[in-house]
Amino acid sequence: MNLAPSFRMALRSIRANKVRSLLTMLGIIIGVAAVIILVSLVQASNRHLKAYYERLGSNRITISAEQSGGADLTQPLLDFCLRLGPSVLGATPDATTEGPLRYHDKSTEQMETGGPNVKLGSHQFSLCNNFQLARGRDLCYMDVQASQQVIVLGARTAEYLFDYQDPVGRTVLLRGHPFKVVGVYQAKDPDSEYSMDNVAVIPYTLCRLLDHRRNLDTFTVRAASAGAAAEVTSRLSGFLRGKIDNERGYFSVYSENQDVRASDQQNRTMSMVLGGIAGISLLVGGIGIMNIMLVTVTERTREIGIRKAIGARRRSILAQFLLEASVVCGIGGLLGIVLGIAGTFLAGQLILRTAVLPNLAISVGAFVFSVGLGVGFGIYPAAKASKLQPVAALRAD
Amino acid sequence: MSLIELQQISRIYNEGMANEVRALRGVDLTIGRGEFVAIIGASGSGKSTLMNVLGCLDLPTRGSYRLNGQLVSRMTDDELSRVRNEEIGFIFQGYNLIPALDAQENVELPLVYQGLSAARRAQRAREALEQVGLSDRLHSYPSQMSGGQQQRVAIARAISTNAPILMADEPTGALDSHTGRQVLDILHRLHQERGTTILLITHDNHVAATARRIIRIADGRIVVDCPREEIAL
Repeated sequence: MNLAPSFRMALRSIRANKVRSLLTMLGIIIGVAAVIILVSLVQASNRHLKAYYERLGSNRITISAEQSGGADLTQPLLDFCLRLGPSVLGATPDATTEGPLRYHDKSTEQMETGGPNVKLGSHQFSLCNNFQLARGRDLCYMDVQASQQVIVLGARTAEYLFDYQDPVGRTVLLRGHPFKVVGVYQAKDPDSEYSMDNVAVIPYTLCRLLDHRRNLDTFTVRAASAGAAAEVTSRLSGFLRGKIDNERGYFSVYSENQDVRASDQQNRTMSMVLGGIAGISLLVGGIGIMNIMLVTVTERTREIGIRKAIGARRRSILAQFLLEASVVCGIGGLLGIVLGIAGTFLAGQLILRTAVLPNLAISVGAFVFSVGLGVGFGIYPAAKASKLQPVAALRAD
Repeated sequence: MSLIELQQISRIYNEGMANEVRALRGVDLTIGRGEFVAIIGASGSGKSTLMNVLGCLDLPTRGSYRLNGQLVSRMTDDELSRVRNEEIGFIFQGYNLIPALDAQENVELPLVYQGLSAARRAQRAREALEQVGLSDRLHSYPSQMSGGQQQRVAIARAISTNAPILMADEPTGALDSHTGRQVLDILHRLHQERGTTILLITHDNHVAATARRIIRIADGRIVVDCPREEIAL
């Protein structure tokens, strides 16, 4: 059968009832737009989070261990990590000490975002935390062994204290103690206000100089792979269990891969829940289509009668009404895509503060689904129309 | 073999129920090719029901109807559609044009269902509209035309398929006498020039008087069936 005239006919009947057609489409428009916006946003925030974890460094294991009155765990722990061989890329203390850092008249106390995290680390601090050197040199083994008063600055800390001067070779004061700046790390998180770049690191062996009687209690170990991370986590737990008495202290060994996995899982669940809700609104839109198509069939009973009287077969009538329903849904789907793309950009700016690209596959899928809805929900009214007896239909008014 | 053969045709609505209506009660009727027949009767006599049965718009409750020797009651829904499309042209009292389509598109509609190409359809539709004198109104919509013009579009639609039978149910009923005569003239011309079999249903004796054979129906039965000359109208 030739579909072109039926197609024109469908377009014309939509144009003849503009307001009603638009209202009919509204359910589809909103449904399609909602699916596109929600799925795109969830995926964008997922990508965001993934990128965050990547900058932080993959396969990181964080350890915190405390024991009152016990011996310092730092050296035994680092030694143990060395013994674990190639499954450990690096290990460092990762404790934070109080600022502020001062250079001439500038003090990090006045930083709007608060002072930097001054870390007590080893020469493997940058390796464990995924920092790259921008200028100067990194902490080295000798700095740590000889308790040199040297410091490497994170990009944001350096920028605050030195503006655009080269900090390397200058001396900053940490709680009054002079530290020579030997290097600066590259910015790894330039967009975020409370940045990971708001940091500085000094050899952990200076702990006693700054904090009397304090043991280091936080460590970061970086494993070679996700598989190694799991193994190293359990080995470290075993090691700490032997060292720490439950009565006087506690420890925890935590693989950040768990976080990544958990947030992945959470995002998938979120995608499905939000997508499902949007899908329900599409379904409601489809029921609206069926409702209107039933009204249309009733209204046009006489037209159907005329068509049958002059020779329309059942399948011609069926095709006409199915086509009309799918054209309504198709146009609604296209409008929904336009709205969805605009909404994704807008919501991306407002909620995630970045340009979010709408998901193309979801857009196409939503369009195909809405046309499918038209066919699915058009079948009942169209079948009803096609089964009308000509004489009964002609008598209707 | 006659074109139309009805034997003991009954059409009963709501049979067996309290509101049962016996619209046709045992009609026997034979119509040959090329006849011009008027079916007359008061309103409610059953003449429209007869036309619906003859036109395959409605199936008889009982009796046999052979069209071109074929039993209509044995036909499927699609076969009935084909018969209505190719064998019969309908002209209704209320014109029954589709308001959303212009004159040419209305006339093309039965040809669409024949699966003709757009170019062939347009050509046939224009020819048919020319025959009824509406060449200048090809793209007018029904709402933009007078009753007479609409009825002529309906006639053009009925003749566009070159159907051998034309059935007209009160074709002049809604028209003034002048336009009514124009419509009748067209029917007569088709009868003479193409040999189209014409069934004309009317309650107007003046209209019926132009036919060759008169059938009068009363109370669902044929009470008169004779040549025009033998009856005083």
